[in-house]
Amino acid sequence: MNDEQKREIDARHEQAKQHGVKFFPDIIYKDMIAAFGVFVLLLLLAVFLGVKPEPPADPNDAAYVPRPEWYFLFLFQLLKYFPGQIEWIGTAVVPGLAVLALLLLPFYDRSPFRHWRRRKLALAIMGAAMAGIIGLTIVAAVTTPPQEETAALTSLGDRLLAGQDLYSIQCVECHGDEGQGGEIAGVEGLEGFLMKPMNVGDYMYTREDDTLAAIIAYGQPDLGMPPFGKAYGGELSPGEIQAIVTFMRYTWDDRMEIPQDVASAGAVPALAPGEIPSYSVHIQPIVRRTCLSCHREGKKNNNYLMGSYREVLDTGDNSPVMVAGDANSLLLRLLRREEVTEIKDLDPMPPARPLKPEWVEMFELWVAAGMPETPVPATGAAPAATPTPPVTGTPPAASLTPAPTSGTPTP
Amino acid sequence: MAARAFRWLDDRLGLTGIYRTIFDRKIPKVNWAFTLGSATLFLAVLQGVTGVFLTVYYVPHPDQAYESVNYIMTGVPFGWLVRGLHHWGATLMVITVVLHMLRTFFYAAYKYPREITWITGVLLLLVTLGMGFTGYLLPWNQRAYWATTVGTSIAGTVPFVGPIIEQALRGGTDLSTLTLTRFFSAHIWMLPAALLGLVGVHMYLVIRLGISHVPAADE
Repeated sequence: MNDEQKREIDARHEQAKQHGVKFFPDIIYKDMIAAFGVFVLLLLLAVFLGVKPEPPADPNDAAYVPRPEWYFLFLFQLLKYFPGQIEWIGTAVVPGLAVLALLLLPFYDRSPFRHWRRRKLALAIMGAAMAGIIGLTIVAAVTTPPQEETAALTSLGDRLLAGQDLYSIQCVECHGDEGQGGEIAGVEGLEGFLMKPMNVGDYMYTREDDTLAAIIAYGQPDLGMPPFGKAYGGELSPGEIQAIVTFMRYTWDDRMEIPQDVASAGAVPALAPGEIPSYSVHIQPIVRRTCLSCHREGKKNNNYLMGSYREVLDTGDNSPVMVAGDANSLLLRLLRREEVTEIKDLDPMPPARPLKPEWVEMFELWVAAGMPETPVPATGAAPAATPTPPVTGTPPAASLTPAPTSGTPTP
Repeated sequence: MAARAFRWLDDRLGLTGIYRTIFDRKIPKVNWAFTLGSATLFLAVLQGVTGVFLTVYYVPHPDQAYESVNYIMTGVPFGWLVRGLHHWGATLMVITVVLHMLRTFFYAAYKYPREITWITGVLLLLVTLGMGFTGYLLPWNQRAYWATTVGTSIAGTVPFVGPIIEQALRGGTDLSTLTLTRFFSAHIWMLPAALLGLVGVHMYLVIRLGISHVPAADE
């Protein structure tokens, strides 16, 4: 650019200024309106969208799909097109050149023209670059699989429930549903081992939360306890281990008191006189606490799964294990720990220790009522028809009380 | 009395001079796209103010960062709002910075005599992105941790110096307390210092040269 062109440009600017306005108040006024608009938008975003809660950082959870801030997504996507050996082209060369091109723009774009009609090439290049960035961002946003919604467990109730569920799946077989320990049955390699109780003050008083978490994570291999932490070959993330520790602390440490509203959630409610038990209210909490640890995918359980209402009714090699109204249903006989001879290799359930009598009775009432999934409104006709005394030995089929008509099986 | 007090101050501070140079100057008639720069400046100041408030409660340590952010969200009066403004302010600032750059490009305002204004502007864009990158880790949640793990490992793929850069960013081979403290330091000290310096030069040049006019068809 020669001096004449520079003088020309300066003269043009001077002219534009003469026809222009004062910075104060005209320009400042406009700027303040723009800033105010931005502020209102920002306020709306902060108030109505807010900041989404996220679970705490978990260095062991390698399954987490990393997601950079949205304005880095295009870079993230760009790298995917430069795999392996040529990765450095995507990480260093392309972005490096782009930044350099941007920085040095005034030095290689030597044309004196300013109006867009005379700068079509420059605009086309910048347009293509912006389109590329927007395109890459869209591709990245669409193709990155959505994160599994692992909502942060923030309330004590949530953590206790999660801890109880995890305990029921991971710990119950050896430690018992109440942490009472006892003789282990049905666990490979630990058959007959006598487990010390954990549900006593002694045990909980002498172990801090961190100690409990460490025991769960590392296991105690010398005592037969395998590691449960993900980093050591188990299934549990640190957050999940924390949930189990919280559950243990609040359940067995008598120095801790669970707030009333938290305590009622997840407990097995007692039956009111005449009430017909239902899956969602009574059976499911029992199943989750005592059965699900074995009756889930990947365990030895004759393919009888108990993860959902459907599974409880329909799965298993010996399906159906329950017949509406039949007090002699296979499942009930096993729960009552009766000898079952016609099918080989069936243990009483749960194998280690009997279910509480009131829970067995709940199952019996439930089967008698036709296994309703959701609470059935009591009609008042039921109570007389449903006494099922705890029986030992197989009762003769003729003595069966007829199924109450009020409990129509829900499909 | 007021006039005398003003004269006394003016004699010593040169207020009239400042007013004449900054506020009373003529500016070409421009459109609304020319407010993007000051909107960005406004957001930067707001980020500074909300950021300072956040540091009152934030603890840059892996054991406490998450909890302290949680406390800001639930325990501190209007903490959720301050963090919300800071969070979305970052997003809006990136948008306004980029639009500001595109406007400058479209009107060819980077040409003589505003080359240095442009260069400081590009550097400011990079610093803004750096603020976004370092700030993202601070809540120490899953998103933050893994995005930074990937982000810093990307730096590690640069030929020759990559592994050194990665080590320097992380303060070791893995993300740790050192990573968090140096990202925190970068986010609240180093990058804002760079930002302040660059904004100073940028603004000085804008005032000295005046904003460019909308070019006519024959320019």
